[in-house]
Amino acid sequence: MLPNRSRTSVLVFLLPPLLLYCAAVLFPILQSLFLSFFSWNGISEMEFVGLQNYVRMLTADDIFWRSFFNALLYLAICLVLQLGGALVVASLLTSLRRGRELIKTLYLLPAVISTVAIAFLFVRIYSIDPVGLLNQLLHWVGLGSLERAWLSDVNTVLAAVSAPEGWRFTGLYMLIIYAALIAVPKELEEAAVLDGASKWTLFTKIRFPYIRPVWITTTIMATTYGLRGFDIPYLMTNGGPGQSSELLTTYMYKTAFTSTDFGYASTISVFIVIECLVAVGLILFMLKRKADS
Amino acid sequence: MITQTAPSTPRASAPSSPVHQRRRRKPSLYRTLSRVLILLIVIVQVYPLAWLFLTSLRTEQDFATGDPFALPSSLTWENYARAFETGDLGRNILNSFIVTMGANILIVLFGMMAAYAIQVLGFRLSRFVRALFLIGIIVPVQIALVPLFIDYSAVNLLDTYQSMIIPLAGFALPMSIYLFSSFFEYIPRETYEAASLDGAGPYRIFGLITLPLSLNTVVTVVLVNSIFIWNDFIFANTFVLSEDLKTIPLGLQNYIGAMGKVDWTATFAAVCVTITPLLLVFLVLNKAMIQGLESGATKG
Repeated sequence: MLPNRSRTSVLVFLLPPLLLYCAAVLFPILQSLFLSFFSWNGISEMEFVGLQNYVRMLTADDIFWRSFFNALLYLAICLVLQLGGALVVASLLTSLRRGRELIKTLYLLPAVISTVAIAFLFVRIYSIDPVGLLNQLLHWVGLGSLERAWLSDVNTVLAAVSAPEGWRFTGLYMLIIYAALIAVPKELEEAAVLDGASKWTLFTKIRFPYIRPVWITTTIMATTYGLRGFDIPYLMTNGGPGQSSELLTTYMYKTAFTSTDFGYASTISVFIVIECLVAVGLILFMLKRKADS
Repeated sequence: MITQTAPSTPRASAPSSPVHQRRRRKPSLYRTLSRVLILLIVIVQVYPLAWLFLTSLRTEQDFATGDPFALPSSLTWENYARAFETGDLGRNILNSFIVTMGANILIVLFGMMAAYAIQVLGFRLSRFVRALFLIGIIVPVQIALVPLFIDYSAVNLLDTYQSMIIPLAGFALPMSIYLFSSFFEYIPRETYEAASLDGAGPYRIFGLITLPLSLNTVVTVVLVNSIFIWNDFIFANTFVLSEDLKTIPLGLQNYIGAMGKVDWTATFAAVCVTITPLLLVFLVLNKAMIQGLESGATKG
């Protein structure tokens, strides 16, 4: 603590940020919780309905459950691409002698581009008429039978809208994991190599345990970002066809701003927050326990 | 930094004894494979962007009939002219610039102030306040949409720059506070004590010591946040309706015509125009940004 500080000086520095934060983040969270107990379309009187919105969401709303499972699959695809892809590239990159900086930069490029642009780009990549990159590529490698309109096929649409989100952030996570990997003490690795450790053992027994704290951070980042994914599915398919690419976030958005059912939309957003908190808790629990064992 | 088990000799093709060759071949096969793999992944990451740019130079005819992988048969800038006619690109870029600047000023100033209060000044509830700010990192932004929409319409803030700046700054604040406080930890206590002995109060210490020392962290915070703010879609889409205030992500939507008919070559030209400013900044400053991202996350 600073010697000559006064109570006023603490308040002068703390209050403005705290006010902004309360206005934009904390208060809306409480307000959502409050609204979730009401039925309200924004115009008529607000009507207190108790837990009715929650009962409806959990027991009587098929679209909610559909969106929930879609969101989990969306998350799984994003995690595999982002964390799996990032770990592979970061590991490979440590063995490269030259051009690492260039590759890092190139790899991070998609993260700089707006989701709207990415949505446009991938709509074209998936398109069949005029033929897009993906279908053309399949045709060339002799998998022509797989060619299809990826975004209108109910079996492929969810994967098709998940991939771009995974694609754009792989570079970001790669960067973080790479920074952790090059910080692994070389003496440890050299000692292991002298003892005859294979590349795989080196990775699983030395490198990975060493970067575990960073791995936990990136897993939490990628998970919470995956669970709040919205822009790309919303822009590419708006949840369709049917509900086959509807996520909880897009469903919440439509409930609020298309059906103007503010109370029920708030119920869904409360669920999304709980889902994020549970996910973070689970990750910490699982990864910590593994580290202890 | 090189963690290879490979011998330090270069992969020369010079003749050598069979024993040597065997010892060398294994790691070099591994190296070649890993290099090919890296190259493939980089192509997957970058090719779509290159394709975006090439498509923006194609003629419409060529685009409709041609092989998507082929190079354009002739180059044209006409798409760019059409892109500027269709949309209001200049206006969109200006709006994005205003929102990004506004939010960044709040994020940097307030983030630094809060971190200073928590980390340097210290107070009884500082741990609690820190935890309170942490919530904002975990909670998804979507939770704020409905309440803010209602609140903004009550106080007439819908359809203003502030309606975008406030939530963008609010949700970015926790990360910025986190980055600033981890930096403030490294400023030695003695510096503050010496300044205090010389009679400097908390305000002068903030202005004369903490602030000037934090310039590197400021660059990091601004760069990282600018990417997210420049590209924000959800707040802009929810709170802004009038054409005059549309930022780049919303402006791009205008290129989808009635009945979902899209002028693709003009759209891609527009996309190229709008991603250029951020891309240039990124390419010029990517070292600082990469360092910032790395240090930000590895400390956690």
